[in-house]
Amino acid sequence: MISILELTKTYGVGGAAVSALDHLTLEIRDGEFLSIMGPSGSGKSTFLSLLGLLDRPSSGQYLIDGRDTVSLSDDELASLRAQKFGFVFQAYNLMPRYRIIRNVELPLIYAGVERRERANRAEDLLRMVGLGHRLSHKPTELSGGEQQRVAIARALVNGPAVILADEPTGNLDSKSGQEIMGIFQQLHQDGKTIVLVTHEPKIARYAGRTLHFLDGSLVREEINT
Amino acid sequence: MKLDDLVQLVGDNLFAHRLRALLTVLGITIGIAAVIAVVAIGQGSQAVILSELETLGNSNSFQVTVDTSQGEAPTVDTFNLEDANLIKELSPAVLEMAPISFSSMVDLRLPQSLEKPLMSQLVGTTPDYASSANLTLQNGRFLSTADVSAHARVVVLDADLAKTMFGDSDPIGRQIFIQDNPATVIGVLQQQTSLLGAMNLHYTYVPITFAQDILNSRVIYELSGVAVSKDVLPQAMADSIKILNNRHFASTVHYTAQSMEESLGAVSNVTSVITMVIGAVAAIALLVGGVGVMNIMLVAVTERTREIGLLKALGARRRDILQQFLGEAVALCLVGGFFGVVLGAGGALIVAFFAHWPPLISGWTILLAFGFSATVGLFFGIYPASRAAALSPAEALRTL
Repeated sequence: MISILELTKTYGVGGAAVSALDHLTLEIRDGEFLSIMGPSGSGKSTFLSLLGLLDRPSSGQYLIDGRDTVSLSDDELASLRAQKFGFVFQAYNLMPRYRIIRNVELPLIYAGVERRERANRAEDLLRMVGLGHRLSHKPTELSGGEQQRVAIARALVNGPAVILADEPTGNLDSKSGQEIMGIFQQLHQDGKTIVLVTHEPKIARYAGRTLHFLDGSLVREEINT
Repeated sequence: MKLDDLVQLVGDNLFAHRLRALLTVLGITIGIAAVIAVVAIGQGSQAVILSELETLGNSNSFQVTVDTSQGEAPTVDTFNLEDANLIKELSPAVLEMAPISFSSMVDLRLPQSLEKPLMSQLVGTTPDYASSANLTLQNGRFLSTADVSAHARVVVLDADLAKTMFGDSDPIGRQIFIQDNPATVIGVLQQQTSLLGAMNLHYTYVPITFAQDILNSRVIYELSGVAVSKDVLPQAMADSIKILNNRHFASTVHYTAQSMEESLGAVSNVTSVITMVIGAVAAIALLVGGVGVMNIMLVAVTERTREIGLLKALGARRRDILQQFLGEAVALCLVGGFFGVVLGAGGALIVAFFAHWPPLISGWTILLAFGFSATVGLFFGIYPASRAAALSPAEALRTL
């Protein structure tokens, strides 16, 4: 359960200060599939960064399972982030010099997991996303859709409760995009909480609830059926 | 993060930029090689100089002179012929004692020779000097007590002089002229070591009484003694000065004594200072290499900002990023250090081989070089690494 109260993020100081996120209050239930829409500059990416503990809010409260995150140290944030969140980016953000299995193992290396267990978990997840036969390929040898599937496997490898996806289909053709959304739907059915930022209404409708952002504020909320 | 994983990540990252890594390594290699080579060559030459100097005198020997550092010079009254014998009799610590009077250069020639005279240093002394200066004879005999008391016109030549003057024929019993004074050759010394030969110093030894006649001067420049053992060397020196002060109470000079070891120590100090100075210059090369490492690591941090953001999103802590970047800097330096040791030691060995020096590369030098290069890596890596570690993940991810 995620509770957000009056969360604000301001960039710059004094008169030049710009609120990227303006007193946002929100609750995200466990297992919910949430999509966020809005034009660029509406604060949706800032919100996702704050949600994923990649950035600190200027003010407000952010509780994860009742635990306040604002007062945590950088390292505490890092370990909470690693346990709780998996990230999927628009540009996949795979490490081009590593084979895909190593890309998926990367979070486990920082979590200090044994080699054998790491390989097993990464392989299982790559199989799950349909890439079991390409473990030793470099990311550049894969199509965009395949790369994004590697990124999803990587996001899942630590067993996080929440998947944060920033325009995951933004760089993909519609067919690959649909495949990716199929995986997200599956993850949702498996009980993962999913927060997905997009500017495509068709993609947003996969979620149970869509939030519309404008100028750093939540302006509209719709329940998809 | 586990150590083996850290090593693998560091290796991967360096391998991904191998040309750049190689060039950076080269900088450190040159620096370390320079330091190793200079120190090794310095130590080698020092050892050679010391071992050659050790052949110049008995290790228990010492010299008594006046305090030249105060601008004092010996006069006719400073030492007299009886002083040496008296000191030897009075002090149980003194084994041998010889007075020496010498001239910078005298000319030597054969009778009826039209050739240019040879230049030599004339040393007037007594039999005891042979032991104090480690003189060994190749042929004939050294000066005797009878020679000294009789002002005997006899001379002992060093090997080079004998060879130049008489070639392969036996010099013993032959006549030469020392500054136009006829003298009979009674002995030839063993060939001296290469270093002194190279300095082209030649010595002619005559009884001190004869030297005084040739030079027309009664001045004795110093006393050269040998102590009974190393343990009593300080006592031998102290006794000598005490006796001299008693005998020459009216004299205004200050007698000082210095052991062979002290003189060698002074030479050794000079050569180690030279080594240190050249070593410091070499260390500057290492410093430049270190700056190269820092530069390349700063470039890496800027280039890989987005990657750092990603790694943090994937759960890397500050410490992990710090370790990774510091690890890369240290690895560059250690690899550079390894090749530097190989190159520097190789160079020093080659120099040692051609100069006939003992190859002096101690484990310490190598250990020090590695320690130093690791330190360079840590020192020049810490700033870029902490900059990388301090990046905010959200901002890092936003960069392109």
